[in-house]
Amino acid sequence: MNSLITRAKELLENKSVQVVIGYEAGPTSVARPAFITDPAKAGTLIYDERCVQNLAVYLTKPEVKHLGKMAIVATLPVMRSIMMLISEQQIFADSIVVLGISADGSLLDIADVKVMQGYIEKSDLGNPEKYKELLAELNKLSPEERFAFWQKELSKCIKCYACRQACPMCYCTRCTVEVNQPQWIPVQSNTHGNMEWHILRAMHLAGRCISCGECGRACPVGIPCHLLTMHLVDQVHNYFNVYAGTSEKMSSVLSTFEPNDKESFII
Amino acid sequence: MARIGVFICHCGENISATVDCGKVAETIGKLKHVAYSTEYKYMCSDPGQTLIKEAIKEHKLTGVVVAACSPRMHEPTFRKACAEGGLNPFLCEMANLREHCSWVHEKNDLTTEKAIDIVRIQVEKVKLNSALQPIRVPVTKTAMVIGGGIAGIQSALDIANTGHKVIMIERSPSIGGHMSQLSETFPTLDCSQCILTPRMVEVAQHPNITLYTYAEVESVEGFIGNFKVKIRKKAKSLDEKTCTGCGLCTTKCPQKKIPNEFEQGMGMRPAIYIPFPQAVPNRPVIDREHCTYYIKGKCKICEIVCPTKAIRFDQPDEILELEIGAIVVATGFDIKHADFFPEYGYGKYKDIIDGLQFERLASASGPTTGAILRPSDGQVPKNIVFIACAGSRDPAKGIAYCSKICCMYTAKHAMLYKHKVHEGKAYVFYMDIRSGGKNYDEFVRRAIEEDHVNYIRGRVSTVFERDGKLIVKGVDTLLGAQPVEIVADMVVLATAGVANSGAEDLAQKLHVSYDAHKFFAEAHPKLKPIETNTAGIFLAGACQNPKDIPDSVSQASGAAVKVAGLFSQNELTREPLVAVVNRTAPPMYSTCVGCFMCQSVCPYQAIEREDFKNREGKIVKTVAKINEGLCQGCGTCVALCRSKSIDLYGYSNNQVYAEVVALLNEY
Repeated sequence: MNSLITRAKELLENKSVQVVIGYEAGPTSVARPAFITDPAKAGTLIYDERCVQNLAVYLTKPEVKHLGKMAIVATLPVMRSIMMLISEQQIFADSIVVLGISADGSLLDIADVKVMQGYIEKSDLGNPEKYKELLAELNKLSPEERFAFWQKELSKCIKCYACRQACPMCYCTRCTVEVNQPQWIPVQSNTHGNMEWHILRAMHLAGRCISCGECGRACPVGIPCHLLTMHLVDQVHNYFNVYAGTSEKMSSVLSTFEPNDKESFII
Repeated sequence: MARIGVFICHCGENISATVDCGKVAETIGKLKHVAYSTEYKYMCSDPGQTLIKEAIKEHKLTGVVVAACSPRMHEPTFRKACAEGGLNPFLCEMANLREHCSWVHEKNDLTTEKAIDIVRIQVEKVKLNSALQPIRVPVTKTAMVIGGGIAGIQSALDIANTGHKVIMIERSPSIGGHMSQLSETFPTLDCSQCILTPRMVEVAQHPNITLYTYAEVESVEGFIGNFKVKIRKKAKSLDEKTCTGCGLCTTKCPQKKIPNEFEQGMGMRPAIYIPFPQAVPNRPVIDREHCTYYIKGKCKICEIVCPTKAIRFDQPDEILELEIGAIVVATGFDIKHADFFPEYGYGKYKDIIDGLQFERLASASGPTTGAILRPSDGQVPKNIVFIACAGSRDPAKGIAYCSKICCMYTAKHAMLYKHKVHEGKAYVFYMDIRSGGKNYDEFVRRAIEEDHVNYIRGRVSTVFERDGKLIVKGVDTLLGAQPVEIVADMVVLATAGVANSGAEDLAQKLHVSYDAHKFFAEAHPKLKPIETNTAGIFLAGACQNPKDIPDSVSQASGAAVKVAGLFSQNELTREPLVAVVNRTAPPMYSTCVGCFMCQSVCPYQAIEREDFKNREGKIVKTVAKINEGLCQGCGTCVALCRSKSIDLYGYSNNQVYAEVVALLNEY
């Protein structure tokens, strides 16, 4: 990982960026996010199999943004999140340096968005293999069985909204569930209300989810809520032949009409 | 404290026959915040409106619910009544007891219960209504007419004569449209060109009309009174100011084998051409697709022969940006051609032609200078068969509608043939003769009785060629479905009128709706036949459905009046029921995060960007902003906004929520 450290140090020293977002070793065995502003501290950066968090979530946080121009350690899901954030105008391509990490953990030379796009296009964009099986199993169930499955899972939800906080695409400064005039989504945690929240969250991510699985990983009670959005990834790909986060200019699949769109799902 | 007045209308017996209006008024009267509740036979009548006006004053009402018909009918009436009673008109809501309740249910207690619920919902909603002020927008007093056929010409002239500027756009090199191709016109048999060309010249000479031929609409943005239109002036490859229209280039052009569109492919034209002798403007254009120079890189004979050196081979297309207040769409129609009919040989028999081709044959300026001759061998046909409803009224062919003009022009064709070929025999196969119109039926009778055209009621199953003759097989349904076989020299198909090419594309650029057949759709089939559902865009002529000349001209004048009416005011007032993106205190400025997904779903391009800058002038946040002039209040953005940062005046989230809660709660 010396190349990553060298590159980060270089960027900070020549003031190309003011902060490098990456991973560092935490007090326990887990890796935690690091926000390096001092070139002398670039040495604490690590990249290994423990570094799984989607760091793109920090790119839209005002407390990180105000540090200045950012560099970010970016695996494929992070790069795709960055693409989505650029296409939704939450960040600007020229205000960010991507320290791309390839699938085998080596540093990529991502000079600009075009190069990043080229790398993303070459990669496998479907849902991760480990979730495909689970999704297939769920899809085998009858609608009643599947509903029962989700009822059971979602009854555990404590509405901590960790799934939302972990998601780089949930960047609204005021989430719709915080609107209480009127209170469309109930505050209290109960199975019905929990379902409302999770369905709403999934729908807000339809056509935008980049399959990083962070929502499910963040859930303290182990709800596989990432399967909801990942199912939508499959659906959107099936109907519109589009994967999210593949181009900085992509328009939202569900809010644009193309004359050659499939319309088979319109009843 | 809200003081709501509720007015239950009987609508004669339309509502009271199934709903117990007395009970509704009484129950609603007991609700909290309802200060006054009453019923009346006709709320929309003058005494009904007076009832509302007086109640507003007497009971100091802060909101009014009129429970009557659909707001589509009488909302303006009651809003005005409220305004006259001293209440802001947007504090008046309608509960639809007629379409939503009395008309669709039988008389029983449940129907009355439902009526009470419908009114209750509106009472809860109106409590949260806010007083709104109408939006005023300026009007650009320049009209654009798209299409230079007879409808476009009439509309443009009528608007121009009211003193307003008109921009006319025609995609072909000359105005005139289909009417300029016709030989004679029914029901008077006067020469089409003779009555049309003076109008064409008038357009060219009118000081208020700017004519752009060989031009198409590129894009349309904006809204009624304030459209921003881009038009593409296709390169004519010619300097129109220098060209004198002498036509020398057109005679010297070596490329002469291009099927002539104006002659419906029955004649040829060169690559540099003037479509027809009376063309307006009388200037040639180079058809770059067929010109030898553009294909092979050399020739330029037209440039060499041009006495005024007007040819410009490198001329680019020009994009003009125009500010337009109103648009008249008059893009006309097209017809199906013989290749649409497998049963008549898919157009492979030369002597089966369509109606427009017959017009060219019969026209003095046509390829045969008016002689009716077979295209195959130039002989005079001795037997001629006209087949009406070729494609029209045939759901199997996907065209269920009547093309309307064919009965009349077929009678005209048969008559013209008989006038030119006295010894010839003319047969017409028809389904029904639809000749409604002033002097129309008399015209058809004349064809049958005076010109002895043989009308056979029945359809033609097939036409095939045998020994150089066309064998027409059909039935005569008036003789007990007896098979008929006619050996003909020529067959004329009165093919279905269809939407013009590019109609769908144009409709999408204009954001107006169109029907399954790609004809432009009117806003209301009876009461708004000229308006489209986009304010400020009107229809004239056959772009709406096949129409004859008198109908097209009448509608064109109607559209002109609509435009003139719009231009008679300096400002337009619009209902303030528009969407709004919220604003909060800095540093947030708005809960909008500026993802601009709303921008892509807005059907009216009403969503703009607003930058917030700090004291140094640096942009700190960009959020969405609704252009009130453009917004039609459809609410699509409201539904899409993930952070619920958009609300709709008159249908706010709070109001809708209150309605739902009212319905769920006991009263």
